[in-house]
Amino acid sequence: MDLTYTAAEEDFRRELKSWLAANIPDEWTRPGFWEALGDDESFRLRRDWERDKALAGFAGIEWSTEYGGRGGTPGMKAIYDVETVAAHAPRTVNPLGLAFLAPTVMAIGTDAQKKDIIGPMLRNEVIWCQGFSEPGAGSDLAALATKGVRDGDDFVVNGQKVWTTNAVHGDKVFTMVRTEAGSQRHRGISMLLIDMHQDGVDARPLKQMSGASEFGEVFFDDARVPATEVLGEIGDGWRTAMLLLSFERGASGIGQYTEFRRQYDEIVEVARKLGRDTDPVVRGRLARVLTELECLRLHAMHVLTQVEQGRDLGFEASMTKLQWSETFQDLWEVYDDILGEDATLDSLGDLDLRPLHAQAMWSRSVTIWGGSSQVQRTITAERVLGLPR
Amino acid sequence: MFFALTDDQREFGTAVTTYLAERFDLDAVRGVVEDTAGDGHPVALWKAAGEQGWLAVTVPEEHDGLGLGLVEAQVIARALGAGVAPGPWRGTVLAAEAIRLAGSAEQQAAWLPRLAAGEAVGALSLRAPGAAVEYAGIADVVVVRSGDGLALVERGGFTAQAAGSYDGTTRLATVTVDGAGEPLPGADAAAIADLTARATVLVASDLAGVAREAITRTVAYDREREQFGVPVGSFQAIKHALADLHVGVTMAEHAVLYAAHAAGTGAEDADLAVAVAKAKASDAAAAATAAMIQYHGGIGYTWEHEAHLFYKRAKRLAGQYGDADAQRERIATLTIG
Repeated sequence: MDLTYTAAEEDFRRELKSWLAANIPDEWTRPGFWEALGDDESFRLRRDWERDKALAGFAGIEWSTEYGGRGGTPGMKAIYDVETVAAHAPRTVNPLGLAFLAPTVMAIGTDAQKKDIIGPMLRNEVIWCQGFSEPGAGSDLAALATKGVRDGDDFVVNGQKVWTTNAVHGDKVFTMVRTEAGSQRHRGISMLLIDMHQDGVDARPLKQMSGASEFGEVFFDDARVPATEVLGEIGDGWRTAMLLLSFERGASGIGQYTEFRRQYDEIVEVARKLGRDTDPVVRGRLARVLTELECLRLHAMHVLTQVEQGRDLGFEASMTKLQWSETFQDLWEVYDDILGEDATLDSLGDLDLRPLHAQAMWSRSVTIWGGSSQVQRTITAERVLGLPR
Repeated sequence: MFFALTDDQREFGTAVTTYLAERFDLDAVRGVVEDTAGDGHPVALWKAAGEQGWLAVTVPEEHDGLGLGLVEAQVIARALGAGVAPGPWRGTVLAAEAIRLAGSAEQQAAWLPRLAAGEAVGALSLRAPGAAVEYAGIADVVVVRSGDGLALVERGGFTAQAAGSYDGTTRLATVTVDGAGEPLPGADAAAIADLTARATVLVASDLAGVAREAITRTVAYDREREQFGVPVGSFQAIKHALADLHVGVTMAEHAVLYAAHAAGTGAEDADLAVAVAKAKASDAAAAATAAMIQYHGGIGYTWEHEAHLFYKRAKRLAGQYGDADAQRERIATLTIG
């Protein structure tokens, strides 16, 4: 057992912390600052800041320097995840690209793709969307119907994607498209890299239950994409997608723990303000969530250890997703219940509750996107425990 | 970062598991459970525990021990839990820990080599006088509370009154100390807290072992057992429940491993880690063993089936050194105030 980081990793921590301290304005750390900005302004500010961060060398931490990464260790990435949350750094505007597309490109992309995709992504010159879900293909991704028909050197794409994060701010979308006419289920699909800045692509925002519009719909109406703009082989998109989704562990548990643990303390503050911190029922429920949060931290340490040892985590990603998403949701349910009769008020005295409500609303989504809890349980039962299909 | 067992630590656990599978399987456990008049202390198993170093694990090398830590001890505890193994292993290890942490040099020299070799059986009670203690009836030495401290009492200096228990994988007895016993001079509040943490971790580890084995056996059964023409494990209601249990038990295993490290090294967050581990392991074992009965159907409720051995052991240990609710109140105190 050795729970320390190396000297080089600790040096990296110091360097990163000092950059963050110098580059995050105080007002950004004020509760409610980002919520008050509005989607577009918030996106612009975060996009530029993240570019500066990349130019300072704090992006693609564990990725090869050949493609613009920092060439660091998995431990440095864990430190990065913790310290950016601790410093109240804004959330990334390129989450799908960074967590999923980039590692997939590094694994199976052509040399040209590695060069063309990763560097510009790190500098936010290209914001990537993920085009997977459709109105008729949610958890059942293989039911997708978006069609691509070969026309000379191009595919002509028609169809609709939905729940697309950053749809209206996106530049390109990695899209699951049925490129073999008449193909069924997992066969005949390709992952095409489609430019969203063209007449054949129309992105519209969708308003979420929280009131924000972080996701949207993308319509393809004779959109064109060169047949060379494919990740993996043509017709082999299902395999590409499964590889891509296996990088779910890129959503770092240790960073999430840091964020959720702070939220736990914020909720404890609310309980204290309402005099509910001495209520044994509330204490028991908070402690139950804290127990799961600590388990999340330890699970993240376990995952990091496995990565450093070069072990394949296989379908353990489903467990990671279940643990963080269910715990996060439980945390915010306790918050709602602590407020009791005043659960829906915008403020209590001088305490603005709206940023907290926004988190509570968001918590409803996390057990759906990225593979719902039900899908994750089925994967865990079949692929990890070996129960029959 | 290395949050895992080393190969050596893993092999320690495998050795216990292999021994139990080959030499003390569930039929042997059942023999102990059904022999209600017996002392619940199988000689062959005890001999193996002495010879293979399971009892010597935390005893310093200068007293003929292995000088290893709580992480190694929890590996053994987990394997014994998975095998629902009877016998005074934990009481002996913890009596030795009490003497190591708080005993005089003479007490250590007198007792640690004997406890490490299995020549003496130990028992520990941190509860009030009159409480039931594991294997006090056959103990050569018990460590009990005495005023604000602890006392060591040799056989002859205490009376053990057998207390019936529906968990047949142990034997319980109430202890009445006839004299004052021999005080452990170093048993101040800090030493007792340290000892309590170590005891709690070993119980939590046993529970994690019970829970993991309950899930593994249930999955194996539900892959084979057919109803409606298909294995019952193909039903989503059962799959999802077992998936959640697998996640819960895995988290309990993480929590116990970390608590062993934290308590064993006196880490800053050791108190929280131990409370988290015991809360999680208690709940995981209770849920997993109840599910073991449920997802075996009627056979799981019979005496003939092994599910009740796991369930009853989980019931007994879930409450030791504070049940999940008590641990959560501790967690609340540490994180809320």
